[in-house]
Amino acid sequence: MIKTEKILHLKSSRGRKVRVVREHYLRERVPCYSALCQGDCDNEGKVLPGDLTHYVVPDVGIVLDFLEILEFRELQGIIFTQTACQAVQHNKGRRQYNRLRNLLKDARHDCVLFANEFQEYSYCPREKGESQEKWQTRCVYSAAVWYYNHLAGMKNIVMVTDDSDAVAQYSSLNSGVYVISMQEYLHNFWLDVRAALELYSSIAQALQEREGEVSEREYSEHLPHELLEAGIKSGRYLLGILNVNKHRAQQEATVTTQISSNKNISGDVLVFGSKHRNRAVYGDSVVVELLPRGEWRGRATALTETQGEERSAEDPSSQTMPTGRVVGILQRNWRDYVVTFPTREAQSQSRNSQKILTVPWDHRIPKIRISTTQANALQDHRVVVRLDSWESTSLYPNGHSVRVLGRAGELETEIQTILIENCISVPPFSEAQVRLRLLPIYLFFSEVTARRDLRESHLVFSIDPAGCEDVDDTLSVRSLSGGRLELGVHIADVTHFVREGSLTDLEARARATTYYLADRRYDMLPAVLSANLCSLLGGVDRYAMSVLWELEADSLDVASVWFGRTVIRSSYQLHYELAQALLNGEEAQVPELNPLTPEERDHRLTQLTQALETLTHVARHLRAQRDRGGALELEGMEVRAQLDSEKNITALVPRQPLEVHETVAECMIYANHWVAYKIQEAFPHQALLRHHPPPRQEYFSQLQESARAHGFSIDTSSNKALALSLEQAVDPQDPEVNRLLRMMATQAMSQAMYFSTGALPADQHYHYGLALDRYTHFTSPIRRYADILVHRLLMKALEQEAGLGIATASNRELEETAQHINNKNRAAQRVQKLSTELFQCLFFRDRDPQTDPSCVSDAVIYGIRDNGVLGLAHCDWTILQKGVQKCVPFSDGRVKVRISVLSNRCHADSLLLQLIRNLPHESQSPAPGQSQPKVQLVQEVRRQAEEASQQKASLKGRLSREERQFCQSKQPNLYSLLEEIRELALMDAEAGAEKMCATTA
Amino acid sequence: MAGLELLSDQGYRLDGRKANELRKVQARMGVFAQADGSAYIEQVSSIKGSRSRTLHDRAVINCQYSMATFSTAERKRRPHGDKKSTEMSLHLKQTFEAAILTQLYPRSQIDIYVKILQSDGGNYSVCVNAATLAVIDAGIPMRDYVCACTVGFVDETPLADLCYTEESGGISSLALALLPRGGQIALLQMDARLHQDHLEAMIEAAMTACKGVSKVLDEVVRQHLQEASSLSKE
Repeated sequence: MIKTEKILHLKSSRGRKVRVVREHYLRERVPCYSALCQGDCDNEGKVLPGDLTHYVVPDVGIVLDFLEILEFRELQGIIFTQTACQAVQHNKGRRQYNRLRNLLKDARHDCVLFANEFQEYSYCPREKGESQEKWQTRCVYSAAVWYYNHLAGMKNIVMVTDDSDAVAQYSSLNSGVYVISMQEYLHNFWLDVRAALELYSSIAQALQEREGEVSEREYSEHLPHELLEAGIKSGRYLLGILNVNKHRAQQEATVTTQISSNKNISGDVLVFGSKHRNRAVYGDSVVVELLPRGEWRGRATALTETQGEERSAEDPSSQTMPTGRVVGILQRNWRDYVVTFPTREAQSQSRNSQKILTVPWDHRIPKIRISTTQANALQDHRVVVRLDSWESTSLYPNGHSVRVLGRAGELETEIQTILIENCISVPPFSEAQVRLRLLPIYLFFSEVTARRDLRESHLVFSIDPAGCEDVDDTLSVRSLSGGRLELGVHIADVTHFVREGSLTDLEARARATTYYLADRRYDMLPAVLSANLCSLLGGVDRYAMSVLWELEADSLDVASVWFGRTVIRSSYQLHYELAQALLNGEEAQVPELNPLTPEERDHRLTQLTQALETLTHVARHLRAQRDRGGALELEGMEVRAQLDSEKNITALVPRQPLEVHETVAECMIYANHWVAYKIQEAFPHQALLRHHPPPRQEYFSQLQESARAHGFSIDTSSNKALALSLEQAVDPQDPEVNRLLRMMATQAMSQAMYFSTGALPADQHYHYGLALDRYTHFTSPIRRYADILVHRLLMKALEQEAGLGIATASNRELEETAQHINNKNRAAQRVQKLSTELFQCLFFRDRDPQTDPSCVSDAVIYGIRDNGVLGLAHCDWTILQKGVQKCVPFSDGRVKVRISVLSNRCHADSLLLQLIRNLPHESQSPAPGQSQPKVQLVQEVRRQAEEASQQKASLKGRLSREERQFCQSKQPNLYSLLEEIRELALMDAEAGAEKMCATTA
Repeated sequence: MAGLELLSDQGYRLDGRKANELRKVQARMGVFAQADGSAYIEQVSSIKGSRSRTLHDRAVINCQYSMATFSTAERKRRPHGDKKSTEMSLHLKQTFEAAILTQLYPRSQIDIYVKILQSDGGNYSVCVNAATLAVIDAGIPMRDYVCACTVGFVDETPLADLCYTEESGGISSLALALLPRGGQIALLQMDARLHQDHLEAMIEAAMTACKGVSKVLDEVVRQHLQEASSLSKE
């Protein structure tokens, strides 16, 4: 190691310039990460392949401006220099830098980082009087030269820079190192990657625009960074995330403050008007200054039509709240947005400037200005854009287009829009990801001997919805010699096939969960795994991860527990109805028993029934145990599909929840709970658990109000009290009331989240809904990535017990992954809800609301605002028309409504409910019919969707290709349908009931 | 820019060292003639002069720590006896009471003066190392070299021998003075929050770093001896 000194000129905290001497160490050995390396560098991790035509070293300027292009997977052999990375960190902020870091970590991209400033021969000290840019270019060039020499001239190196002086200066210095501009580079080497070329011209144009702009200011300038930080520290400014009101996006935004040192401000700060918002965009982390108290205003409570223009008149507002203005932005949080290009007429005024104002799909995002030459071709299309900048001289932010999705209003476009708006990317699985370790079909002897063999000794069976193809959990129960019981839960051993760090694993981690949309699903794992190799099908040998408890005969206390890898053969693949029928002692046909002789069959049947009975007995006990702790039960409804012989859906019938559902769920919760214990014990600070924080009391106010209107009181002080009072709040005349109250309670709940145990204090590990002190997800590794992680942790815990030292992911890494999974889960829920709404709108779009009887339905009013009411029809909370407030006291808020579609070119369509008449309470149809409308709707939307897709397929040949690409199973698969309907029933509101409901466990 | 990346994904620190690498240490002994023993050490580009006088009735160790006005990036008048330097003096005193064989010098006092000429992090540990050399130069018997090193904790990795930017980056750090041969800890100081589980790893890393320092010091002493003996031969 050689020590040199680096002289830096920095600004001190008081703004003075200081000359600082820093030590800087150089070394001869810096890994080059190339397969061609001649000097046996210590290349760990990603390595550039040797069979490329060249390696490319982008200049600092290129990395700063064109990182998006370098993100294309087609571009291979990219060497990022440390100089460039540091420039990104300093000039573009943390978000952009993290993007670059993730790019470098991602094994699917062919790019590496070279620490050129720590390499003895590639480091060049900055000369006196040399400008920063020149020095950086020189550094990058010398790194390129080093690479050429290091690889002994076997590989040509291309340095890309947009600095024409540098091209002139360096291009002829060395024979193997070419210096060319970005445009030239793309044209010469990647002419076939059209998207990259288009993106290049789009960005280049946006850059040019930015330079040539001078006009007067529209907004006040943001304060410099140091001032902001000082202001936050002193409590003069507040830091928070900007949140825009969806219904009045231009006017109202709030900033949720994180830690406020200012004592008299609690909660949110209102930011009113676009001047005060000062170019902040939804999601940015902003710094606000409070306005004097006289200028504070209240949040508007009146309903507006979604499309309504902003009214200039003062809205009647509720009590005033702290109001402020944005003085600076700490971190932009821009993502890809979907926008719609305006029609030709609307464009005409701005034609000459080639700049077009486009309207984002998300209401909360301001209009985006885009420079393009393709405006004509793009009108009425939905396009993905990225924001570049928002100068104080411009009313709207500047952006550039990335790719075109398709014409607005088409099903495929809309689905893609929903996915992109939620940052979900689900490209089809690549060859390499599917290939994995293609051995199985049969079991390996060595593998089998290493596992505990339960094939002969245990009666294993699965209970799932009928027709399910990815069976990830099975159960077993048997009596042991001493009168004890042995309960077993066996989960598909996905981690055996999906090795950590493999391509399949990376893809699964990126997706984090299987996405269920209204008409399709995007699997987390390739179908080979999810439907075959991992799936614990009946009658075949499969690898599993098992949890076996030995329970005392009478008290059912756990005597001992065993975790480990096993081989099982599921004897029966039951479905819920069949299992319940067996339990009830009804005549039932178990398909697996058909080929046997009658005596044999009877014998087997009694055996199975007995097992089911024992299981139910145990589950009841477990449930009672949890109920004592205060577990909540919230409303969920299940629907069953009736199928004809070709697996087409003929009807959907509501299903009474069967006890066997609860039994299975209870066993799964129990397994999750025990695994959570186990991994936390082994890794106190690096275990992935799931917690459910108690809800904030103020969210219960609506519930309490509603309950009071019915003469009930709800105690929300603890989960136990809540569960108890919900149970008592039953109106014998109107069972609907209890259901509604439970639904409102669900809405008040906070979301359950994954976390790493090191990141939270132990008292926050509690799961409020299930009333368990520790909980995790272990039982569905086929469709949740968290479960895969937990499986790995459990395996490592067991190996550690066996005395093998095992390194696990650090707390920080795990917490990062947990947050990622949480985000993706939230996105998955949103996508599901949005796609359901999309189909609802498609369903009602073609119907005339005045004549079609299906457009009239019953609704319940759940809230009253200043100029309107909020109503609930079917399964959908929607705003009712304004001006009807005299109609109803809440207690008999039953109304008839007419449903119509409020169509909107730029945004998603929405349903509009119009009040037709009041329904007196007495005339309400009795209980049995209550769930009917909802079920019908689901069914009809479904059919409509199918019709639509069939029409598309038959009409347009070109669409079918896309469909093949996106629908992973062409015929909507039954499992996804059931899954969807169940989730739909559970998630009446967006507050996910998922965490509450035992059935998802 | 908030939050410097103290340890990059490739495992480099800001100045190009890896997590467990020390800074380059240069030292000289016998710099001043006025004192009984003195040393200059450059681990941080900081100098320490130290001399010992034998006075009075019992082996009391007296330490005084000070920083030159020009020792940091911004000039600052540093009066003697401010809180920080008093604390530092006390720490030094404790460290050396543990290492020097005080019972051999009844009725005497050993004074150690340390002055930082330029500071770039790890002041305490460099003071200890410099004072060790000075005490050796003065010929005062010690149980062993006293070597000190600071260790910081970033991303679950302990970083040895922090420089100033790292120290001020808001990470928890620990200073440890070690008698390397016996592996005894003379002083352990930490005033940041750190999870108990990580403490062991930190101490482990600090001990290795201290042993590294002791090797360097040993070399310096031997070289000095050689020079001195060759001089006296002439």
